[in-house]
Amino acid sequence: MRQDERVSGAWIALRIVVAVVYLFMFGPILITAAVSFNASNRSLFPPQGFSLRWWGRALSPDWLDPLLFSLELGAAASVLATLLALPLAFALVRHEFRGRNALIALTLGPLLLPALVTGVGILQLFQYVGLRDYIGLPALVAGHVVICLPFAVRTTAISLQGMPPNLENAAASLGAPPWRTQLHVILPLVKNGIVAGAVFAFIHSFTDVNLSLFLVRPGEIPINVKILGFLEFGFAPTLAAVSVITILIPLLVVVAVQRMTGLGDFLYAERGHG
Amino acid sequence: MPTSAAITSDAPRRTLDPPRPATFHWLLAAVPALFLVLFFALPNALLLTVSFLKSESQYLTDELTLENYHFIFSRPLYLGAIARTFAIGIAVGVLDVLLAYPLAYFLVRSTSRWKGLLIALSLAPLIASVVVRTYGWYVILNRFGVANDLLLWLGLIENRIAFMPSSGAITIGLAHALLPYAVLTVMGGLDAIHPNLERAAMSLGASRARTFFAVTLPLSLPGVIGGFLLCFSIAISAYATPAILGGPATQVLATAIYGFMTQLLDWSIGAALAVVLVVSSLALLYLAARFGARQVSL
Repeated sequence: MRQDERVSGAWIALRIVVAVVYLFMFGPILITAAVSFNASNRSLFPPQGFSLRWWGRALSPDWLDPLLFSLELGAAASVLATLLALPLAFALVRHEFRGRNALIALTLGPLLLPALVTGVGILQLFQYVGLRDYIGLPALVAGHVVICLPFAVRTTAISLQGMPPNLENAAASLGAPPWRTQLHVILPLVKNGIVAGAVFAFIHSFTDVNLSLFLVRPGEIPINVKILGFLEFGFAPTLAAVSVITILIPLLVVVAVQRMTGLGDFLYAERGHG
Repeated sequence: MPTSAAITSDAPRRTLDPPRPATFHWLLAAVPALFLVLFFALPNALLLTVSFLKSESQYLTDELTLENYHFIFSRPLYLGAIARTFAIGIAVGVLDVLLAYPLAYFLVRSTSRWKGLLIALSLAPLIASVVVRTYGWYVILNRFGVANDLLLWLGLIENRIAFMPSSGAITIGLAHALLPYAVLTVMGGLDAIHPNLERAAMSLGASRARTFFAVTLPLSLPGVIGGFLLCFSIAISAYATPAILGGPATQVLATAIYGFMTQLLDWSIGAALAVVLVVSSLALLYLAARFGARQVSL
């Protein structure tokens, strides 16, 4: 019966609709990529020849510096968020204790409250307590760790939950001291969750605009905030090339990690805001 | 299937560990919890406080007041921005579930060996920032952009059309940016329907169309409503898309907050606007969670 469904006219119509939706999804980014190779400095249609000069400009220090800054920021936020997430996930998943619900609310909070508002809050806090000079990289790292933490905690928690509960006891009964159990039994088993969390944290940091917007200073501007600022001056094909570069970086990270561990398990298994 | 019930379920996983006192877990969680208190709870609490403080010529005073909220809700400019924010959010939510439904239905029902790849593809846009994805629409919609060029070339128009800045352009850009969230949530709704229900309907003589409209569609509605609310709630706090595809005449909450915080330097009004945004967004997310909204880990 379901086999019938897939050869029916309705199923073919559905496939056409699906193709249109995918076109809507990827059309703008494909057009952006096309514009980055266009010889003209504005019009795309009809296309006017092939040129690499926008790519040349995109690879100048003007754009490479914020790109490197974003990479550093993303790496720092990802590592710190992962390190903080591990004990947090441990405490939350494996045991019942007083105040657990408060800790859950605190952990998932950054996912529920708009990042924009947290950005404004951190800006005000830093100014209020006289840490004005730390707006820039330090404030950005703090803010990015906050918004990335829920992702890292979730993936770690998922792999902790999937672990048979009596492994620790088994290791202990074989004479392993607790630290060895953690290091050689638990850690390898939750490794995938930790890696997935680190990847999601990096991408979330790398693509963030809403929080970063308020915490930048000259010379310490993530690439996406820089692009946003430039758009105010209007259209420039250089931005098209820069945009493509900013997509390629997370794509490479995802593909590389996907080959080693399964990110997909952590994507589909997520249920939001539960 | 493991879910984030991993964190949120009331009953933690049973272990054979001896029960430990609360202090042990708080010690374990002390550093991350302290970090979140300092850089998440405190900033937001400060913002809430500031929204009730009177400010005079760009300086905050200690005086408690409701004036900031009164200011927002009495000026047509800001009431308009709030109304526009919500109108765009609703339009984005509707557009997204309409686009997501056929895609999600296809992805759930397909037995193609490309299914996994197609699901990954439908989530792939999330690795590009909203700025970059909106930039694509800027390339298409601006006065000298692809859409105008195409229409001129085809001879459908004689003069260039201003597609942007407009609320319509913002709506399209945001619907595009948030579509993967809707796909994921609607897929969740469709996944939850037992295939036997549809088989039962058809074995009782219902046509394929009747089965869809009488069984599948109603049962998938929680996913649809959840997807709508999730996109709605993310859309109202979006800054980049309204900033790029909108203009001074299409202010929304996020752009107004940015203006007050960085240009007008009136913190108390900005904070009050932020509180309005937080309260609306939390209310929508609460409802969305009740309908099983899914937010991907990106």
